[in-house]
Amino acid sequence: MGIKIDALKCTGCMACEMACGYHRDDGFALLASCIVAYRTREKKDYFGVIVKEEDELLIARPEGLEVKKLGASEEPSEPAQKADASAKPMLLREACDMCEDMEVGPMCVKFCPVNAISPA
Amino acid sequence: MEYLSADKILVVDLTTSEVTEDELSDELVEQKIGGAAINKYLYEQYEADNPVVVGTGLLTGTLFPASGAAVMTAKSPVTGNLCHCPITLKVGLEIQFAGFDYIVIKGASDNPVFLWVHDGIADITDALDVWGKNTWETTDTWRKAMGDDLIQTMVIGKAGEAGSDLAQVCLNYWASGDRFGFGKLFGEKKLKGLAFRGMGLLEIADAEEFVDQALEILDDIREGDFIGKKGIGDIYAAMGQSGVNAWLEPLVHRHSACYNTPYATNTFVYLDEDPATLKETANEEPGFLITELYGLLGFKALGLSADDACRMLKICAKGGYDAAAVAHQAKAAGKTSMGDIESALADFSGAGPMHGKGVFSPWCPNQPLFSFFEEAEEDPGGWWERRQAVAYIFGIHPIFAVMSPELVEDDMLEMAGVGTELSIEPEKLNAAVAYLYK
Repeated sequence: MGIKIDALKCTGCMACEMACGYHRDDGFALLASCIVAYRTREKKDYFGVIVKEEDELLIARPEGLEVKKLGASEEPSEPAQKADASAKPMLLREACDMCEDMEVGPMCVKFCPVNAISPA
Repeated sequence: MEYLSADKILVVDLTTSEVTEDELSDELVEQKIGGAAINKYLYEQYEADNPVVVGTGLLTGTLFPASGAAVMTAKSPVTGNLCHCPITLKVGLEIQFAGFDYIVIKGASDNPVFLWVHDGIADITDALDVWGKNTWETTDTWRKAMGDDLIQTMVIGKAGEAGSDLAQVCLNYWASGDRFGFGKLFGEKKLKGLAFRGMGLLEIADAEEFVDQALEILDDIREGDFIGKKGIGDIYAAMGQSGVNAWLEPLVHRHSACYNTPYATNTFVYLDEDPATLKETANEEPGFLITELYGLLGFKALGLSADDACRMLKICAKGGYDAAAVAHQAKAAGKTSMGDIESALADFSGAGPMHGKGVFSPWCPNQPLFSFFEEAEEDPGGWWERRQAVAYIFGIHPIFAVMSPELVEDDMLEMAGVGTELSIEPEKLNAAVAYLYK
């Protein structure tokens, strides 16, 4: 059970990231989100979403989905490394818990205005 | 102020290089609410020093739908009026989390400087190395120097440094809602720009209630008439400019949205890469993000091809020129080719096309988009002014405000109360709006 992301539907608005941050901090903040919009290639318009799950990173890029096992010898791909530049690295963030304590379910799914995120 | 706020007002004196901080009082928020109205209040406190005020709306950076805008307020060096421009993309968001609700920049520096605002700290920093550089080079320089590609900037180019009436404060690399020549004001202050980054947290008075209500409003918005539309091409169609979409379409790569805004108001065109490319291109500068409507429209009216028109937008943004004003002045001067327009940029003067009373940026179309607004039928001009005023006070994306009747003032007021525990009634909103026109 997890979430799935259609990166081509995503408009990079970051509502998912803020909704996740609210779930973590009970306030509006981005530092603890386990779903992050990567947006460092601004001049290329290359953007998508990364999710930290229990055992893997889910990297939703325009050309398709990539799943990277955590702890494998292979390094995370560059988009994952650069996702949040100077912010808290993805690997140090808590894994997605599907907002198990929220009545409405995963907040990123609920707050995505273009339905790019859905339960898997 | 305890909630939805960093509780700090920053006052920067460029003449003395002094930086001071004040608290944001509950009383001021209850009286003026936020955004443009508090910006104006602060402008008046420091009017003798010709300040520029940058501030967030009361709901900016929250989960309230379309809460992505901050506001820049100053006396326009072109129109002579006190006026307000939206700060969109992710820049308004970053301002909110960088540690200050409002920033007053007064006086003028002797030497080029920029203001680096990060995690509640503000530094007036030397900008001699980027004075003379274009907006793209400057944003790249600051991001590299600080080692953070997510730094958000408000920056001028050659136009602002040279004192052009057409100078615009750009956002990162792209055009902004500055249609009042604030870039010229930055140049006069020797202020190359502002850079923001922050990891702040906004406390919420009643967090659960706030988020539940935000979700209800978003669910209503999802039923809106704009659903299924995206990008600037569909906005042009809604404005009655039906030919633009097909003209531009061969260049369109993707559409993107400003922070938490349900409609993607920005369209990226690939000019030196196949627009259908999905993989990351090795080309560092394959195209341009169109964030403003009237520049492209103006260049199309001059007879430029879509490719040339978009390249002209890129030239304008790099130089920090208001593209709408450039197209307007080019038409008046009889310049109808990309080369002729580019060669004449430094010679143009005067304002660009305006609509409204000159208080809010004509960046936002002065008509409903996609949707029916009853008030717009009765009084189109009054409806637009009110809609913009309320958006600029709460930090709502001004263009989304004219396409979503689901966003209503009562909800904004209620959310302001739930989020802050302050008493903010409709009469106070009416007073704050009226204050913006005094």
